[in-house]
Amino acid sequence: MVVSPQEQRMRAPDPAHAGDFLGTGAGTPIQQSSLWRDAKRRYLRNKAAVVAASIFLIILAYCIIVPIISPYDPDEVNFDERFLPPSLEHPFGTDGFGRDLFTRVALGGRISIAIGFAATLAILVIGLTYGSISGFVGGWLDNAMMRFLDALYGLPYLPFAIITLAIVGTVNFWTMVIALSIASWFTAARIVRGQIITLKQNDYVRAATAVGARWFRILGRHLVPNTLGVLIIAIFLELPGVILGEAFLSFIGLGINPPDASWGSMAQEGRSVYRTHPILILIPSLAIATLVLSANFIADGLRDALDPRTKET
Amino acid sequence: MKRFRVRELGLGVGFAAIVVSLAFVAAGCGGSDDGGGGGGDNTITVNWGTEPPSLDPGLATDTTSSNILLNIMDPLVKLGDDLEPVPYLAESWQESDGGKTVTFQLRNDGRWTNGDPVTANDFEYSWKRTISPELAADYAYQFFGIVGAEEYNSCESNCDALRDKVAVKALDAQTLQVKLTTPQPWFVQQVAHHSFLAVNQKAVEQFGDKWTEAKNIVTNGPFKLASWQHDSRIDLTKNPDWRNADEVSLQRVNGRMISDGVTGVQSFEAGEVDVTAGLPPEEIPRLKDTPEYQRYDALGTYYYGVNVKNVPDVNQRRAMALAIDRQTIIDNIAQGDQEPATGFTPAGMPGFDQINPDSPWLPASGDMDQAKQLMSQVSSPKKSITLWYNEDPAHKQIAIAVQSMWKELGIDVTLKAQEFAQFLEFLGPPPNNAVDAYRLGWIGDYVDAMNFLELWTCESGNNNTNFCDKSYDQLVAQARNTPDNAKRYELYGQLEQKLFGEDGPVPLIPIYWYTYTQLEKESIQETYNLNLLDQVDLTKVEVAG
Amino acid sequence: MVGFIIRRLLWTIPVLLLVILMTFLMMRQIEGNPFRRSERAVSPAVQRNLERKFNLDEPWYVQYALYVKGVATGDLGPSLVLRNQSVNDIVKEHFPKSLELGFLAMLFAIVFGIPLGVIAALRPNTVFDYGAMFFANVGFAVPSFLIATLLIYFFALQWGDIFGLPTSGWSTPQSKILPVIALGLGPMAYFARLVRGTMLETLQQDYVRTARAKGLSSRRILFVHVLKNSLTPAVTAAGPLLGFLITGSFIIEFIFAIPGIGKYYITAVSARDYSVVMGLTVLLSVIVVLANMVVDILYGVLDPRTREART
Repeated sequence: MVVSPQEQRMRAPDPAHAGDFLGTGAGTPIQQSSLWRDAKRRYLRNKAAVVAASIFLIILAYCIIVPIISPYDPDEVNFDERFLPPSLEHPFGTDGFGRDLFTRVALGGRISIAIGFAATLAILVIGLTYGSISGFVGGWLDNAMMRFLDALYGLPYLPFAIITLAIVGTVNFWTMVIALSIASWFTAARIVRGQIITLKQNDYVRAATAVGARWFRILGRHLVPNTLGVLIIAIFLELPGVILGEAFLSFIGLGINPPDASWGSMAQEGRSVYRTHPILILIPSLAIATLVLSANFIADGLRDALDPRTKET
Repeated sequence: MKRFRVRELGLGVGFAAIVVSLAFVAAGCGGSDDGGGGGGDNTITVNWGTEPPSLDPGLATDTTSSNILLNIMDPLVKLGDDLEPVPYLAESWQESDGGKTVTFQLRNDGRWTNGDPVTANDFEYSWKRTISPELAADYAYQFFGIVGAEEYNSCESNCDALRDKVAVKALDAQTLQVKLTTPQPWFVQQVAHHSFLAVNQKAVEQFGDKWTEAKNIVTNGPFKLASWQHDSRIDLTKNPDWRNADEVSLQRVNGRMISDGVTGVQSFEAGEVDVTAGLPPEEIPRLKDTPEYQRYDALGTYYYGVNVKNVPDVNQRRAMALAIDRQTIIDNIAQGDQEPATGFTPAGMPGFDQINPDSPWLPASGDMDQAKQLMSQVSSPKKSITLWYNEDPAHKQIAIAVQSMWKELGIDVTLKAQEFAQFLEFLGPPPNNAVDAYRLGWIGDYVDAMNFLELWTCESGNNNTNFCDKSYDQLVAQARNTPDNAKRYELYGQLEQKLFGEDGPVPLIPIYWYTYTQLEKESIQETYNLNLLDQVDLTKVEVAG
Repeated sequence: MVGFIIRRLLWTIPVLLLVILMTFLMMRQIEGNPFRRSERAVSPAVQRNLERKFNLDEPWYVQYALYVKGVATGDLGPSLVLRNQSVNDIVKEHFPKSLELGFLAMLFAIVFGIPLGVIAALRPNTVFDYGAMFFANVGFAVPSFLIATLLIYFFALQWGDIFGLPTSGWSTPQSKILPVIALGLGPMAYFARLVRGTMLETLQQDYVRTARAKGLSSRRILFVHVLKNSLTPAVTAAGPLLGFLITGSFIIEFIFAIPGIGKYYITAVSARDYSVVMGLTVLLSVIVVLANMVVDILYGVLDPRTREART
């Protein structure tokens, strides 16, 4: 079975070894430090991850706040003010319709990030559902579901996104989310299933079963919390792919309907004038890049923080 | 650790350096075989844009195919500068029987590249082939003016009998006789269209579907198809055996297929191609002032159609028409030096002066005051309108501008983009109920306003507005039966008035008339020219200097 | 072992059938007339003729059966739009170019990604590390259409005389440089991170310390162990990376006017060229499925435990 790089990076912390780092091997007094608190501490020690998280939060703040406080109507067409260079009134200048770019990039960010999270969540929810059913039930159902998944794995994601958008006809927020998630959830399902299976065979889960705990208790108490860490990492790992996917689709013309814009569709519009007004393609593209980079570093940082086996140098 | 550093870094960097230098060595060495650069040896490189779907005259539907075909084949007639038909392979023609019969006399020096002479039988074979139901030709409808053509094309079984009833006959090797259902004064002009070209029967029968490949194709025109690498290149070379070969200056025309407009411009600026079209509108302001920029009139109209069922009040439609500032759209968005449309039939059409209504509802810069005033007179206005267009940056931008213009009338416009094929399906006719307004364009097939005005008849497959006026239809039928040009143009004028005059219902809002914009190297600018139908005659092109 | 391979092979058949069915059904859901090439409506007679010619007037299950039969005999059908070409022709002409592009991009990624990862791992958490990783990540994060546009602008236009690189096309060796770089930067980031990660892990392993204590040459340790440890993740990444290359190539091919299948795929979907879309999708799926299978088998070879887990 194919284990994707994401899967590799998302190996869950093995609870059996959780105590090692904390010095709770045999003989040492048990400290009441939770996995999360230690994870947070370790995360904050990782400079790159902290910078990345700050940048991510700054971008989020920019996207949420700026459109609210901006004096400009982002949709108003004003041909006298086209292509103005950056200035105090227009920190990023204006676009071909005379609209303030600073505001539009923030709005575009809202849409791009919202699509990113929505699609990522969709991927995880579908994957989680599919994977937990398959992993938990096991047996022939598991086998069948995995075979079916194999078949789906063969579907190339971009072509199917294109076909999906063509089927639904128009491109808006929800259709984009569907298109991006429809062919991307297979890895998540695989991971979740793998997790569930590993954890099912875990000693203390077996113990709990032996003691007579009910299945939902096992699921709720043991399996899900342990998967949670992996899932959070998964979100930040999927996010770049989804955002870039949306940018690609916008670039080939399957972008959000105007006057709404995402960073991808803004970059596509900006490309035609890049010779004279490069700022129009640079800003949205760099925004995408920054978001993607910070998501990546955050994911790395989270993984390092949550996996006690990775020793620091 | 220290031992690692130097060694491993060194290895890594060294490896990378070797590969990079190899790459540059390869770059330095290999010769460029992409052609390009006019001026040398009478060779030019053209960017054709997209891959021609087919080079079979019966199956070709797009401009690239058309252009190439008209240069590698020998049509019976060509269109002159004033768009009147001039003799080409046909040295003369006569009309008889009240204009219902046309007889062509062919020259006797037409030759196929396999040595065979070109005869009228070739044309009879080819035309019937294009009309045949088996070929399923898109442009079969162009022949429906010929007696028996439509019946043959619609035939379901026993078609061979109907085939013989198609009134195209080779009376002898040099004479082709055609019988028409009604007198059609523009028929001879239509024959200049690429679907009326002859194909070589032997080649078609021998190679089947593959007869258009460069190694199989048999042509009879001033240029030969030297090579066709799909989606990549089409190269033409001069045909030395053509009847007028000594008048042809170009030796070779290399063709690239770059569909991305931005890349096309870059290619041109890097000197890799001598001609490129499909300029992105946003680049035009920058390119307009360069000496290589060329602009040509085109026979096409860009318009917004209105679903008259959903927007029934004529005053609202007129207000919407008045609110659009065409000049601003042209100057700031379309940027192709287009003409603001004052009617549907574009400038350049013969008879334009009599046809054009100079509609009071289509002022070039719009008239917002009058629009608002008219709007206020509308008893129950449609305040929210969905405007549909097919995905394309240019259409999107125009839609955005129009959206803000209609907003001033108090109309809330929702823009909906759809992908092209779906969009067309959506429009029907009859259009989907959700369509209040939509964007479309119309490019002329042949040079007569009938081509444009027949769109708005009740049954037209291209009328997506639900507009239906029997008196309009009657007038169209009458025009069809009027061979005299002047009288016909007058009828056309009446038709335009019926749509856009003072009392006109304005079921559609023309925005501008198309232009073709290109970049052309100065060395060929003078002789490389497009006519109204976006066609270039390569026999006339000379590389100066 | 052999049984494992055979079983995996056999499983690909129903998988492929399913892929074909799904693509087929999805394509049919798209509205839009494949024969309407422009704004001009198609006359009903012509429409009927075209549908008859391409069997579109048959019920969907008949069309599906005909199609599967075709695939089994290796005939992917005629193109609805490119009337003189069949899907097989299109694949034969265009696919090798996409393959070449993908392969060269992969090569580029490995050749430049590995040294970057090495540099980063040797000086972890320093400027070198962050710098190398940042550079690698930029290649992945910045959308490829921007990278491609910038590459063309600078290297082909502005500095065209120095480098002699063309702005587009895929014929001479020079014309291949920029597209390969644009496409390869993403996978390069992947390899850089991978090498960095495994090197760091390896360097900290107990047995490395032991071996060094015993006096073995550092270089040998490094190469042997790092390589071995990187092999599995690299192999497992082959599948998704392949996916990345395929999807990334669409944009690159479009911008650089490379006549590969990516460029035509987008056109085909818009043009509703059913047979081409299906043929290409099936082709891509076959590749991915086969790649997955090869990876699975390799994985089975490398790590015997997974063999049992899979069956």
